[in-house]
Amino acid sequence: MSGDPKNQAAEEDLRLPFDDETGHGTGKRDLAGLLIAVALFGLAMVIVNDASGYPIRRSYAKFGPEIVPYLIAGGISVMAVITAIMAWRGAFEARDPLNIGALSWLVGGIVLEIFMLYGGTGFIAGSAVLFAFAARAFGQKTLPLNLGIGLLLSTLLYLLFRYGLGLSLPAGPVERAIDLLLR
Amino acid sequence: MDTFILLFEGLATATQPSNLMFALLGVMLGTAVGVMPGIGPALTVALLLPVSLSFGATGSMIMFAGIYYGGMYGGAISSILLNTPGETASIMTALEGNRMAKRGKGGKALGAAAFGSFFGGMFATLGLAVVAPFMVMVALSFGTAEYFALMVLSFMTVSAAFGGSMSRGLTALFIGLTIGIVGTDKLTGQVRLAFGIPEMSDNISIAIVAVGLFAIGETMYLASQYVNHKEKAQAVSGSVWLNWGDFKRCIRPYIRGTGLGFLFGPLPTGGAEIPTFLSYTTEKRLATGEARREFDEGLGAIEGVAGPEAANNASAAGTLIPLLTLGLPTSATAAMMLAGFQQYGLQPGPLLFTNNADLVWGLVASLFIANLMLVVLNVPFIGIWVKLLTIPRPWLYAGILCFATLGIVGAQGSPFALILLLGFGLIGFVMRRFGYPLAPALVGAILGPLAEEQLRRGLMINQGDWMFLIESRIALAIYAIALLSVFGPRLWALVRKASRKTTAAA
Repeated sequence: MSGDPKNQAAEEDLRLPFDDETGHGTGKRDLAGLLIAVALFGLAMVIVNDASGYPIRRSYAKFGPEIVPYLIAGGISVMAVITAIMAWRGAFEARDPLNIGALSWLVGGIVLEIFMLYGGTGFIAGSAVLFAFAARAFGQKTLPLNLGIGLLLSTLLYLLFRYGLGLSLPAGPVERAIDLLLR
Repeated sequence: MDTFILLFEGLATATQPSNLMFALLGVMLGTAVGVMPGIGPALTVALLLPVSLSFGATGSMIMFAGIYYGGMYGGAISSILLNTPGETASIMTALEGNRMAKRGKGGKALGAAAFGSFFGGMFATLGLAVVAPFMVMVALSFGTAEYFALMVLSFMTVSAAFGGSMSRGLTALFIGLTIGIVGTDKLTGQVRLAFGIPEMSDNISIAIVAVGLFAIGETMYLASQYVNHKEKAQAVSGSVWLNWGDFKRCIRPYIRGTGLGFLFGPLPTGGAEIPTFLSYTTEKRLATGEARREFDEGLGAIEGVAGPEAANNASAAGTLIPLLTLGLPTSATAAMMLAGFQQYGLQPGPLLFTNNADLVWGLVASLFIANLMLVVLNVPFIGIWVKLLTIPRPWLYAGILCFATLGIVGAQGSPFALILLLGFGLIGFVMRRFGYPLAPALVGAILGPLAEEQLRRGLMINQGDWMFLIESRIALAIYAIALLSVFGPRLWALVRKASRKTTAAA
């Protein structure tokens, strides 16, 4: 029974209210965690800055559109402080090593698709590139093959959703040729 | 008896050919994604949110419910054959199920899981049909104070239940609430947090938030880990049909699992994880004779598969009770379904039962049909689903990404949506990496604007006096439940710990 990890979690001791409840912290100061705290604090500042610029209205409610943003900003600030304490005391769990290469392929694929769609190459080409990059991110290094499968899949998806469901997808030369052929 | 008349009328809606098709599509998609590790029903509903806009409200809700139920069936397959749960609801199934598969009893385990899902799904859906109208009667008397309290309850419990860390749950919730206030304020027309970007002065589509956090963020998280993606799947061995002896061993776990699932499903404690866990531990404790030996020697006991599988499907039905009657999502998939309703301008709650009775009862009736379809799909045709496990992971995830961007670009009609999608994807990735639960962010983004509306309407009626929030006795009771559900589990752990000590001493 005790070898069951799920069960062990249920038997964890009671901890301080805002300590890390899962209780597998590293105990080391966590720079990335502190960065999250800073980001949260920044977000709260942005919200307050935005809300303070709303024109003042007189109404029965006495409170206008700024009240909820203020409440949320307050909440985020509190969480930022707690996050900072958690990071300082090393309450975040140990993280697996980050596969930066894979992540870059993936994010790169999405960014490239965004540029291609803005550049007017159309959905099929952009989506095929995303497919190839994403497959590469997951360790499939055969880029030409990935691209081929991506083109096939994207064309199928385009036909299915453009003609089956009437979705409007960004069109480039390829899409216009298909539309012309099928008209 | 009204219920059964309404249910009968619902059956007429549900058996329309187009709705039958949507149910079939839903259960097939649901089973497929349930089978594939890393993709759950919540993600699938998120992916389909944008494209489902052309399906009609009834059709897409029937499909979403089919995905929810199907995911619970399919999750068992990867748990048993791969020992990798397809989604969290099937974690408990993997324990005994995979041991059975290794001993050449994989077929029996799959059969017990499929029939358990059917049993749990059927009886809990019946329970849903009976209980929902009573909930509606209660909910009809609710005013702004009560609704606001309900949403606070939902916020608190969703933050406490998902993941294990309350502070991180609350942080996720506040991030979601922030997303919720972006755009034009409903009451005054004030544009908030749009930074002069025209696409953001309309509210951010929940589909972008959901797909970004769940699909893009999750894929990034999976890619960022150095994991060997080559697991070995056990072959399906032996018949999936249960004989009389197996059935006799399964029936009690089915009943207990269904009860637990149906009881915990509607509670805002995060869906199927708690009831499946309780069901497994119950079966393990109550086991005698042959089952006792199989549990103790790690041979894989059929009871340990039967109970949790009945429980997870029953909890799916139970989750629909607060979703439909109060508009409160208690699991990630339910939150996605709520977003689906909102897409059509529908707000689940007591009024949905009066204004859209045909939709609600059509949906409930279609759940029975979906269950029938699922047991057929999962028992004789099990081999087809197992084949899905052989799709190479890189292409699978690449395909998911393509589909995600297709839906978002197609529904929004602008590449700017993709920039937002990437942004939410990165947020989702960081949250996953640092152990923040995603569901509270989604619930915050969906319910936040509704809670704000209730709060400010209440303030307007009461001329800026906050006391109206705690003057209603029902609202106070709801706040008490919220506190209890947040601190209750810890008290429970304390009690358990104390009782363990006494038994250890004795």
